[in-house]
Amino acid sequence: MFVCHCGKNIAGTVDVARVSEALARHPGVVYATHHEYMCSEPGQELLRRAIREHRLTGAVVAACSPSMHETTFRRAAASAGLNPYLVEIANIREQCSWVHEGPAATDKAIRVARTMVEKVKGNHPLTPVEVGHAEKCLVVGGGIAGIQAALDVADAGFEVLLVEKSPTIGGRMAQLSETFPTLDCSQCILTPKMVEAAHHPRIRLLTYSEVEEVSGFIGNYHVRIRKKPTYVNPDRCNLCGECAKVCPIRVPSEFDCGLSERAAIYIPFPQAVPSSYTLDEGSCLGLVPLRCGECAKVCEPRAIDFDMHEELLEEDVGAIILATGYELYPKEAMAEYGHGTVPDVIDGLQFERILSASGPTRGEVRRPSDGRVPKEVVFIQCSGSRDPELHKPYCSKICCMYTAKHALLFRHAVPDGKAYVFYIDIRAGGKGYEEFVNRAMEEEGILYLRGKVAKVFRDGDKVMVWGVDTLTGKRVEVAADLVVLAQAVVPTTGAPELARKLRAAVDAHGFLQEAHPKLRPLEALTGGIFLAGAAHAPKDIPEAVAQGSGAAAKAVAILSAPVLTHSPEVAEVDEALCSGCRICAPQCPYTAITVDEVAHVNEILCEGCGTCVAACPSGAMTMRNLSDVQVQSMIRAALSEVPEPAEVKGG
Amino acid sequence: MTEKLEGMSPRSQENSPRTSDLSPVTHHPSLKLAVYWTGSCGGCDVSFLELGAALLDVLSKVEIVFWPALVDAKRADVEALPAGAIDVALINGTLRTEENREMAELLREKSKLIVAYGACAHLGGIPGLANLSQREEILAAVFGDGFRPTPPPGGSPEDAPPELLAAALPLSAAVRVDYVVPGCPPPPGLISRTFDALLGELPPTGHVFASEKALCEECPRTKEDRRLTKVVRPHELLPDPEKCLLDQGMICLGPVTRGGCDAACPKAGMPCTGCLGPTPNAGDQGLAMLSALASLVRAGEEGEAAFASEDKVLDAIVDPVGTFHKYALPATWKVPSSLRGGGSGRGGRP
Repeated sequence: MFVCHCGKNIAGTVDVARVSEALARHPGVVYATHHEYMCSEPGQELLRRAIREHRLTGAVVAACSPSMHETTFRRAAASAGLNPYLVEIANIREQCSWVHEGPAATDKAIRVARTMVEKVKGNHPLTPVEVGHAEKCLVVGGGIAGIQAALDVADAGFEVLLVEKSPTIGGRMAQLSETFPTLDCSQCILTPKMVEAAHHPRIRLLTYSEVEEVSGFIGNYHVRIRKKPTYVNPDRCNLCGECAKVCPIRVPSEFDCGLSERAAIYIPFPQAVPSSYTLDEGSCLGLVPLRCGECAKVCEPRAIDFDMHEELLEEDVGAIILATGYELYPKEAMAEYGHGTVPDVIDGLQFERILSASGPTRGEVRRPSDGRVPKEVVFIQCSGSRDPELHKPYCSKICCMYTAKHALLFRHAVPDGKAYVFYIDIRAGGKGYEEFVNRAMEEEGILYLRGKVAKVFRDGDKVMVWGVDTLTGKRVEVAADLVVLAQAVVPTTGAPELARKLRAAVDAHGFLQEAHPKLRPLEALTGGIFLAGAAHAPKDIPEAVAQGSGAAAKAVAILSAPVLTHSPEVAEVDEALCSGCRICAPQCPYTAITVDEVAHVNEILCEGCGTCVAACPSGAMTMRNLSDVQVQSMIRAALSEVPEPAEVKGG
Repeated sequence: MTEKLEGMSPRSQENSPRTSDLSPVTHHPSLKLAVYWTGSCGGCDVSFLELGAALLDVLSKVEIVFWPALVDAKRADVEALPAGAIDVALINGTLRTEENREMAELLREKSKLIVAYGACAHLGGIPGLANLSQREEILAAVFGDGFRPTPPPGGSPEDAPPELLAAALPLSAAVRVDYVVPGCPPPPGLISRTFDALLGELPPTGHVFASEKALCEECPRTKEDRRLTKVVRPHELLPDPEKCLLDQGMICLGPVTRGGCDAACPKAGMPCTGCLGPTPNAGDQGLAMLSALASLVRAGEEGEAAFASEDKVLDAIVDPVGTFHKYALPATWKVPSSLRGGGSGRGGRP
């Protein structure tokens, strides 16, 4: 029995000497002591020495939560020859000293420690479960985070499947004009990466594809991917564009956020990867039976194939990186800003397209309604963000910076134009970010108004903006030509559904949930699944790239491991007692149980939560090292009275 | 579970019937058999008839020393026997009166093997549900306030009806039990299995003549939709002939109950009520079933919002104690001293 002071964290509240003394008298305890910091090297050495000298058959460290130092002490015990699963942690910090005070804390600490001693008495030595794994990685989402992750995993020597829902990789970054704070051309820095991913010998690009089904577990996921037919053979397509010219259909372009139109057969943008046109079955006049066929008639390289079928691919992968990106919160949700019905009220991505040299206006700033160059432009930050009553409570993080960039680029494009920015706070935490915003405010003549915009509405060919400047306390009214809403960043529509298939948790807003907000930010709670980019939370490009690389490093750790290990403290079926009643299987949150004549637990999938054990009516399901008998004696130890302190001899 | 089986735990060496001179089966021409009923409905005695033609074979191999329902031997005849003179005594019925307990103790003394026959002897049985009431309450309800057992007019004190024990008890609460034949009444398959063993190879002490696995194993109904969205009573539903009754909302105790009856009730469209007792590791049969139901019940939205709707589903269970502890209440539930009242008799479990 080793009682930790944790400095004052435990010893400030709990009488550790008394805990040690009381446990020394507990049946079965042959050695009890206390130490300032058990997790320190001298503390661990104390444990190792006691194991050797007293030939301990079990040890309990009363300290912090097992999620902190269980591994530390089990490893220390193993190095002294004690099976690590015969070491248990009694949590007398988070569950005792931090939440109680007075003598009751010491009393409880003794009970908690005793309880774990009773558990250890019933523990059996165990060895970790070992399993092999696939050496391939699935990356879902071909934006910059996914591309970076795919490149890094592939460069480390492993095969990568890069699955992208749309006809091209590139994601949101391909739509941007220039990037803050350096004003690099976004496409110029992105397209080399896209090309690299396209030509990498170990990356298999699966565009126009979606992950349909995922089964299995860390190291051994089996995925089914549905690749939709593009009806164009990318090897033959020479991008001449004749097909699009003759196509009678025009629909809003997704890439230009509805600001331009595309044909039913189209290429999202000239540098798209794979470099090929795609026939959008949904907007085409009809393929079965063929109702038009004009595109095929003019296709010289005969690239168009109306008989192309969808493909179903089945692959085994060892790790999965989710980089499904973001969307903007729809303007239609903003009742106060015209419900998306005012044509000259646009969102940030639309303005990116207007600013972009490859955009619908070839980079000239013209407004959607009449194509005129706007002179007065209002930028509204936090549109839908930081608004817990009506919209999203969180900060979308990237808007302060891109709005400064938007205003600045507008002033460059229209030197006699006026730019107003309504903001709540300016959040410019990033390398060179604060300087960039200051430049926009001070050197570029952009008027920053601190306050929220109450109402935006159409008035003739103007857009009226009513707001308040909270710094002067005055009401502000701007007759604007164009209003740009920095809409909140939200996860892509399909992300929560995909997360469900993968049993990866999402937060209240649909962003993927990390395993630990501080220490495991790249991992999903489900083993072998990693997060990258804005699918996890709003992020700018450098952060998304960094997380992509980080997730890749985590994935490579699995792919390169000789064998994967898993805790043996999992559920176990006594097949002689199991009647195969199937009550357990649907209870398992990890789908670790299959049933034929009897139930079987997949030891790698099982996380040891015990739900099945509670559900099993016949007691055939048990938890290793946490049997009913152990639990019963633990309860008795927790509930029985704490004896009075032994008389202290001497001074 | 371990505690519950205390009375059936392996015997100490000096009491073992399988030592020294005895081997009732191989060395004796016929098995000296006693069958006795304590607090019983009589069904167990009748159950032997279910053996059919095989009963004749059994009867040819046994000598009935004592069987109040069948032969005219009296308590005094048993008292006159030397210790261990009876090879096997099959005792059915719950222990409810002082006389029940005296007879159990007497038969224990005179018999090499004691078999708890039927759910009452095994677990306390349906009469054990009386443990929900105080003995005095029961007597007052049946005989009126202030009732005391008194001898009939002109009779001597020992002619008085026996005192009621403070609670109904399984046989193992009074005497060491060697084997158990569970069931209400024991199904013919298990009876013949028992006689095969008694007349042939004896299993280890403590053996229960039933399956180690739950009833579901032998139930032909298909288990698919493992969710409980509603609870129905047997008379409220004409069940689908193929599907698991539990999946259809009937509280079927099959998952917590030993197999051995060939799922007779579920096959006939009636839910298992648990008469063969809990599977070896189920512990408290009723609690195990409740725990399973808590896992199975699904109603309303996900998460905490579902709690109220799920409670409503479970609230539809009429008579929870009678449903979940129909047979095993005395074996699993220690009668609190507040219910035990005064007077003689050992209350609750030993």
